[in-house]
Amino acid sequence: MSEVVANATSDAAPEKSPRRRWWERYSSTSPITLTMLALVLGVVIGALIIMVTSATVLDAWRHSFHHVGSIGSTLKITFDNVAAAYRAMLTGSIIDPTLLFHSISTGHGWSETMTPLSETFTYATPLVIASIGVGVAFQTGIFNIGANGQAIMGGIGGTAVGSMIHVPMIIHLPLTLLAGIVGGAVCGLVPGVLKAYTGAHEVIVTLMFNYVVNAILIYALTSTALQLPGQANGISRNFDASATLDPIFGAKSGLRVSYGIFVAAAVVVFAIWFLKRSSLGFDFRITGANPNAARASGINPKFIVLALFVVSGGLAGLAGVVQAASTTHYIDSGFLVGSAGIGFTAITIALLGRLQPMGIVWGSLLFAALGVGGRAMQAATGIPLDLATIIQSIVVLFVASPVLIKEIFRLRKGAQSFQMATKGWSS
Amino acid sequence: MRVELKGITKRFGSFTANDQIDLVVEPGQIHCLLGENGAGKSTLMNVLFGLLRAEEGEILIDGTAVNFANSGDAVRHGIGMVHQHFMLVPVFTAAENVVLGFEPTRSFNRLDHKTANAQIHELSQKFGLEVDPDAVVENLSVGLQQRVEILKALSHDAELLILDEPTAVLTPQEIDALMEIMRSLARDGKSILFITHKLKEVRAVADVITVIRQGRVVDSVPPTESEGELASLMVGREVNLTVNKEVTPVGDVVLELRDVVVRDDRGLAVVNGVSLDVRAGEIVALAGVQGNGQTELAEAVAGLRRVESGTISLRGRDITNLSPREILDAGLGHVPEDRQRDGLVLSMSVADNLVLNTPRRAPFARRGTRNLTAVAANARDLVQRFDIRTSSIDATAGSLSGGNQQKVIVARELSRPLTCFMASQPTRGLDVGSIEYVHRQIVNQRNEGLGVFIISSELDEVVALGDRIAVMYAGKITGVVEPTTSREDIGLLMTGASVVDHV
Amino acid sequence: MSARVDVTTPEAAVPAVREPVGRRRVIGALTIALGLFIIFVFGFGSAGGAHSVVVFNPINLSSGAPWNLSNLTVLTRWWNVVLGLVALALGVETWVRRPAGALARFGVGGVMFFLALLLWSVRQPGPAPIGTINITSVLVNSSAVIMVLIFGSLSGVLCERSGVVNIAIEGQFIGGAVAGAMVDSTTNSFWLAALVGIIVGALVGWLLALLAVRYIADQIIIGVVIVTLMGSISSYLNIQVLAPYPNLNLGNQPSNVAIPLLYKIPVIGPTLFDENMFFYAAVALVALTSFGLFRTRWGLRVRSVGEHPKAAESVGINVARVRYSTVVLGGAVAGLGGVAFIATQGQFQPGITSGYGYIALAAMIFGKWKPSGAVVASILFGVSAYLVQNLQNSNVPISTEFLTMFPYLVTIAVVAGLIGRVRPPAADGVPYQRD
Repeated sequence: MSEVVANATSDAAPEKSPRRRWWERYSSTSPITLTMLALVLGVVIGALIIMVTSATVLDAWRHSFHHVGSIGSTLKITFDNVAAAYRAMLTGSIIDPTLLFHSISTGHGWSETMTPLSETFTYATPLVIASIGVGVAFQTGIFNIGANGQAIMGGIGGTAVGSMIHVPMIIHLPLTLLAGIVGGAVCGLVPGVLKAYTGAHEVIVTLMFNYVVNAILIYALTSTALQLPGQANGISRNFDASATLDPIFGAKSGLRVSYGIFVAAAVVVFAIWFLKRSSLGFDFRITGANPNAARASGINPKFIVLALFVVSGGLAGLAGVVQAASTTHYIDSGFLVGSAGIGFTAITIALLGRLQPMGIVWGSLLFAALGVGGRAMQAATGIPLDLATIIQSIVVLFVASPVLIKEIFRLRKGAQSFQMATKGWSS
Repeated sequence: MRVELKGITKRFGSFTANDQIDLVVEPGQIHCLLGENGAGKSTLMNVLFGLLRAEEGEILIDGTAVNFANSGDAVRHGIGMVHQHFMLVPVFTAAENVVLGFEPTRSFNRLDHKTANAQIHELSQKFGLEVDPDAVVENLSVGLQQRVEILKALSHDAELLILDEPTAVLTPQEIDALMEIMRSLARDGKSILFITHKLKEVRAVADVITVIRQGRVVDSVPPTESEGELASLMVGREVNLTVNKEVTPVGDVVLELRDVVVRDDRGLAVVNGVSLDVRAGEIVALAGVQGNGQTELAEAVAGLRRVESGTISLRGRDITNLSPREILDAGLGHVPEDRQRDGLVLSMSVADNLVLNTPRRAPFARRGTRNLTAVAANARDLVQRFDIRTSSIDATAGSLSGGNQQKVIVARELSRPLTCFMASQPTRGLDVGSIEYVHRQIVNQRNEGLGVFIISSELDEVVALGDRIAVMYAGKITGVVEPTTSREDIGLLMTGASVVDHV
Repeated sequence: MSARVDVTTPEAAVPAVREPVGRRRVIGALTIALGLFIIFVFGFGSAGGAHSVVVFNPINLSSGAPWNLSNLTVLTRWWNVVLGLVALALGVETWVRRPAGALARFGVGGVMFFLALLLWSVRQPGPAPIGTINITSVLVNSSAVIMVLIFGSLSGVLCERSGVVNIAIEGQFIGGAVAGAMVDSTTNSFWLAALVGIIVGALVGWLLALLAVRYIADQIIIGVVIVTLMGSISSYLNIQVLAPYPNLNLGNQPSNVAIPLLYKIPVIGPTLFDENMFFYAAVALVALTSFGLFRTRWGLRVRSVGEHPKAAESVGINVARVRYSTVVLGGAVAGLGGVAFIATQGQFQPGITSGYGYIALAAMIFGKWKPSGAVVASILFGVSAYLVQNLQNSNVPISTEFLTMFPYLVTIAVVAGLIGRVRPPAADGVPYQRD
């Protein structure tokens, strides 16, 4: 570009020998490297937790305390314990080589072989959608910690339309998904309005709103027409067949992975366009990076906050309805509550994916694999599923503190580190 | 106390802010450190005050090498500093601010307010700097806050006082008073390091002037040196200190303010009934010491702050309390006072910043989708026309120098159709080259018939640019005068003296 | 042409007119709404002849009865109308005068609301099987929640005064609770349990400080993730360790310590002077924190770091060290609060802290980042949280789901009416980096 005047100032990089440059490229910390290192640390800490809480391992160590010669077998027991847990996690979330070999050699049992992958994708689908919703908000400098509540509201709205209206599929399915979006958007709008017009900090309001929504869920499932007739428990009516997201390979395949992944793919495409190319997305990014400049440039901050909560809440709501329409086909009082809460996981995934749609896709797959694998591990070894959540949290703690990882692995300061826009209560 | 800096070198990454600087301050001497913005003066002072650590070199006090781990060490060695941005906690009282870090205590670690107040009283008496020790600092005027800052610097028996650009917030009369304080301190045997980029001040008060340019000491000269020579030492080439303006015909009123009242964040009416006209083809410069309501007035015109009463019109159209978007579309060009806060998104590319307030305008977007080709073409055009030095149009605005950041804003504003061009502190913090460039652009616009409204606290700038000069004090216009008016008279208007006769 | 200038008459200073504080209006309106609600729902919503009986003697007289106070029988409708009128009057006053103590008036209105709700819910003839409301036991039982909220909000006050947002209070609670349960069960000493709880809470605080201060990570995100981490660790430990070894989770509770004579005062005595050691510790900590932050050199330095870290550093205060130590201290306080959960509820279970860490955060904001304010807010939130649980058990014809929402809705309303007006420490949540 000949028109561009070359930079004459002193910030041009000083000359370096090729060898040093090679080393820098190797060790300069790309986001992917950072995430992988965080994962390594998470797995290592998880292994330590398994060791110090496993009775077998502890007994072995106690034994070798008295019999010095048995140290070898003690180490083996320790290693076996940890290895068994992680092997179960891997084979349970991706693929079991034994089954794969069996399927290849006999041509049968593909369903069993592919089940772990199918499960991982099934779990990842709503996570991708919800995390993109959270990520869009984060990019604008807003902490939407209420994604879980918004997802539940989306689930309620979607279930109501999916189970209580009876129209052909071509109308019913889109309408159901739309109801989920609307449910989440309405739920997101409340903190949005409060933030825009009273300055209430969204973190507190969205946090509190999660509890409010939990109560609304119970109310909707026990005291409204949504409740499955003839039931005393909190459980909803079933979706009509015309409103469900069916398994791609058919119900008989045994693989649950559903057409929901196409919804997620559409959301990813939308998000990439929205953030990179749309005018509103540009306004969002300006507001997130510098709210003062946004205001001076004629962007209405109130409108941005409202629009943002509609988009973010709507996506969370969509995640909720996709979850219900693709797996259970009903919702109950445990819907997205507690450890099943995709909203909180979405916050961590959004960070893990550096708020970028494709990063979020990979982050969701990783977290879904950890969750699915965690279940398999619990079944195979009795180690609680919570270990997966522990690893997830540790990974995100490290990813959110890139400086720490660099220090641990003695990396150079090369690449730009990822830093969230930080602010206090008053902004 | 004799302070000697020997071979001080301070680097930030690959950038060398101070390069082998040597400096000696004798007891009782007023030593001026003169240099452009970004020459490395503040960095050097932060090194001397223990806030930064130099990579090379040493500091000698009365011949002994010292090593400051933090600024507390520097204070204990008798160094006091009055910071450019006051280091005062706004919600603390004057007394609490002065004793912070060296608090007198009673049993159980309790603060001893009585002793603290007595200390401040004694200091006030000694140096003639009266301050109410129980006043909360955020309620004090800027001048009084500076007094607290000076008291704080003197409170630990400082023998060397560093004053970092202390005059920016003062009226000419207050500046004179400050210089008197400096002289009397020097007579008491205290050494003073006075940092500034203003030539007049240097010559009025200094015993010795050391000029710094691009991180290096250029020369040490006596104050008898002429202003022109000092300027060329500071900049490194001949500097034309005046702006050439042709006489041009003046047209209709484009910006009209009538009895405008604006409140600040605390609810004070800091703009209190301002009326002013800007006509096409003229530059109206609003002078005044910072903090007299100019900032709020500019924000009100740009739609960023509510107008309590009164009207603002743009070529006859009432724009009072319209949204910033509507005011931008009505044709107001706005260079905000704090360019990094309000004018740019530092983490975004130069190209995006060049369409920051016109992203939806054709051809930059169509039906909600941005046309990045058009945005890039626009950027290439403006980068060339306005001589913006950047490695690429995709480089972030944050990677540009201050002068080039300002050029980005000026280019953006001047690239859309305007009725009136308003610039707040258009050259604050810029190097002389950039100042000249921005001034030339502003005068060009006026010559082409645009109405220009400049808000500046630099008297030199106001006098150089303004076709008419309005002076603001305490929320009111105290006078509108010709640029030929003497600096003393403008200075008096800046202190609120009322005008008997004006244009 | 030069202007002639009259030097002798400098312009008067800017008039110090203060903008009317709109938010106080909002708070006034909220209080008025509260008053009207009391009058028409709890007042005229009760039958004309309905009575409510108020009891002042505690149910449990084992540890020593206070001086006797006879029961009070009131006409539900008119008492509630009077209570409502008080709230209404306060609301109107707030609306008109917009006083500085607007929020305190709203608080009094809230107390009126609870009293009226209680009278209304036990009216006879009415829906409830029991026709009496025991004020003393309401307060005594609320004090368990109030106590943990005080620990939590004090932790928040400490951290945020030094400029670090502590959203991880819930995580420090959980850590303290798990550790407290295990240590108490093995040693049978709540003193040791408290000590270990403090250490674990301090460690969680240290983790927050490490990432927030040293590694300049985002404080809100780190806080949220620490809560998730502590929650999953506690749940993991519960399955892997506590379940197979039940003698690690016995669920002992410390006995109460009555303060001679004072415990005999009706209502106040059983509430304040016949409590366990954790309650007294909470009260002592409020006084200590308040004294420390606002009367001592240490407090001045902590606050300077939270308001203007650069100014603090320019006088030789080590910003990072002050923040580190204060956040660790705050974590320790919340850790002690975690043990207090065990002291009042017995065994550890995952979810035992039920989001009180977040409520404590809201209490701290409601209390304007002051220990005394945090106490008032904790009492308000604590009583309402207890009442919600209690009313769910009695047969009050209010949907329990809506009662559950109530404390959260109050928090939202308060935060909406408050933040922006109340000023947090200026550097709260902003990492400080030396150049």
